[in-house]
Amino acid sequence: MDWYGWCGKLVDIDLSRRKIQVIPLELDIMRLYLGGRGLGVYLVYNELTSGIDPLSADNVLVFATGPLTGTPVPTTGRFACVSKSPLTGTILDSNCGGRFGPYLKFAGYDAIIVRGASRTPVYIRIADNVISIEDARSLWGKNVRDTTAALKGYGSVLCIGTAGERLVRFASIMNDNTSALGRGGLGAVMGSKNLKAIVVNGSNRPRVYEPNLLRYRNADITRLLVASPVSSKGLRVYGTPVLMNLINYMKVLPTANFRRSTSPHAYELSGEHIHERFEVRLTPCYGCPIACKREIRSSGMEVPEYETLAMLGTSCEVTNLNAIIEVNHLCNDYGMDTISCGATIACYAELNNLQLDPKTLISLVHKIGTRRDVGDELAEGAHRYANKMGHPELSMDVKGLELPGYDPRGVLGMALGYATSNRGGCHTRAYMVGMEIFGKPKLIHRLSWVGKPNLVALLQNIFAAVDSTVMCKFALFSVSEEEIANALSAVTGIDFTSEDFIQVGERIWNLERLFNLREGFTKLDDTLPERFFQEDTDIRRISKAEFMSALLEYYRARDWTKDGIPTHDKLQALSIAGEYSHVA
Amino acid sequence: MWREFNKFGKKLVQYGLTHSHFGNMSVRVGDKMFITRSGSMLDELDENQVVEVHLHKPTSFDIIASSELIVHREIYKNTSALAIIHAHSPFAIILSLLIDEKEIIPMDSESIYFLHEIPIITGKVGSTELAHNAADALKDHKAVIIKGHGTIAIGKILEEAYVHTCCVEHACKVKYFVDLQNALTRRL
Repeated sequence: MDWYGWCGKLVDIDLSRRKIQVIPLELDIMRLYLGGRGLGVYLVYNELTSGIDPLSADNVLVFATGPLTGTPVPTTGRFACVSKSPLTGTILDSNCGGRFGPYLKFAGYDAIIVRGASRTPVYIRIADNVISIEDARSLWGKNVRDTTAALKGYGSVLCIGTAGERLVRFASIMNDNTSALGRGGLGAVMGSKNLKAIVVNGSNRPRVYEPNLLRYRNADITRLLVASPVSSKGLRVYGTPVLMNLINYMKVLPTANFRRSTSPHAYELSGEHIHERFEVRLTPCYGCPIACKREIRSSGMEVPEYETLAMLGTSCEVTNLNAIIEVNHLCNDYGMDTISCGATIACYAELNNLQLDPKTLISLVHKIGTRRDVGDELAEGAHRYANKMGHPELSMDVKGLELPGYDPRGVLGMALGYATSNRGGCHTRAYMVGMEIFGKPKLIHRLSWVGKPNLVALLQNIFAAVDSTVMCKFALFSVSEEEIANALSAVTGIDFTSEDFIQVGERIWNLERLFNLREGFTKLDDTLPERFFQEDTDIRRISKAEFMSALLEYYRARDWTKDGIPTHDKLQALSIAGEYSHVA
Repeated sequence: MWREFNKFGKKLVQYGLTHSHFGNMSVRVGDKMFITRSGSMLDELDENQVVEVHLHKPTSFDIIASSELIVHREIYKNTSALAIIHAHSPFAIILSLLIDEKEIIPMDSESIYFLHEIPIITGKVGSTELAHNAADALKDHKAVIIKGHGTIAIGKILEEAYVHTCCVEHACKVKYFVDLQNALTRRL
């Protein structure tokens, strides 16, 4: 059959048996799950049985592009990775830019599924229809930059550093040095399989069903990207550090492990200050006109993202810009999630009553990346570390995933988004910062619960679908599901309405929920750290009664039971076939 | 400061000069500008919905300011305006779509007195083209109409920009009905 947007093929690699198969995909499945996060969730749900050790050969890693990846649609040079997380035990997806996604598509594949584990270090090489498992013993022990330098002649490099090799539970997978599949320890899963890298190159562009219509749709998207100050002025000018002053002004900046929500030193880490101090060069992802990523021209070091500046900076109470640039570079080179790393160090500092300085912060990052000394305990993440030390209340996490750079006390939609996130404490599931902070697409009252439960559920659905196309979330500050569904229809030749598109997301969200329920998660896990219910900062604590009421309303919005369990009727309406013993 | 925004935001909506979600206002203070937030409702403005940004260089707060910030900046940089109101006044929009001329000559005495002629300019929402065209036209006019989009009026204070906004809409309304009546008379 003729495929448009998709390639219609998946590479299945069993590292235990050193077996490589190219498997055709079913159009019906792609229509239901699109690709990227959706396809990954579908595959991981069906491949895994409950209770497996995420760091064992039983786990699988799915790398998946979407139908828009590598097409001319703006901001779609992305791909997703899905697995069972060694940090949270939940299903976990992460997506990133760079070049790997488009190159995999150019090679002719929608996805790669990696199963089993190799006895010795290996890497996978894909060049169009030539796929091989190569010896990586000479690369083992190298960090991301050296590994990437050694393999970049073969195409786009996706690899782990020593953090992944040493199973740091928040190890990331890095694409072409600076783009990260950041959260949840996917790098450790790769390390547990003795898989050092995947390198891909390809020579064929994906086919588009209606190129002329797509040009028209793209003009529509571009017009909106230009008109929105967030995409065309804020992110374009300063990158994500544009948020630092703004979030501080809104009094939701994590400071001292969320003991405070403003920092008098925020400006030191702001986009404005970075641009005053350094000449920067834009390093955009493939096909992205927003170009939020950048590096310092003189050193070639990456400008840290806002989340990094907040979690390794103000949350650790280290606001020396040079130090944060250095630890960001170290995290990228070891292959570690800067959010979890910063949050874990902030937890460690509070628990031990330490005032960190730049030197200590840098030293701790080195220790975690190599699992030396206290770094070995911190490499387990804040949740496990705080529990082990007898102070679980000092870990600022949801379902084991450390919270990012927005204090939920001052953004109540975000609070509900954190609590109900299927992958744990994450800001990008409902991305309420768009409406509660930026006012995009509409400014809403950030300290009110009114309407939030429905809104959070709807946005979670939309972003799950967006993550499956795979488009950048930042585009959603400007475009809506309508423009994306239009582009998707023009690319694939399948008519997607906005409602179809949102339902894809709802299907994915429910299947993720089923995975977590199968693993033993319950409604009790849909909550926030007690600090946010007990302590005031510049913003008042969250009322637990109001939160619980909003949570119940959220379950109703999802047509779930009051215990947060999807009903058979709901699953049937979403065409989620199969037997699920853990549903209501 | 925000109380002025609140007062004229309410008036703009109350008198049908724009709908709640359309339009924006700003006031220049030295090298700073106070401007309504993106997504704010003009008839419900409070202190959290007016944001301070720099006039000459981008700041973090640009991303929460009105999407027409770039237009306001360009106008302040090129004119002596100290206040700007952008509204989506219906008769101004209708008339700009009905006529091919590059300006509207008001027929009523008040508008001629205040505005002389009203240029009709083009440019997409929040675009550099619109910013340049508006700033250029406002060098020697008090208000302009963006074809099919709305009005931009300047003043020394918000109240003066509001008066000019009213004038444009009044002029367009009068001209629309006079032209309509003339057309009907010719047909008869």
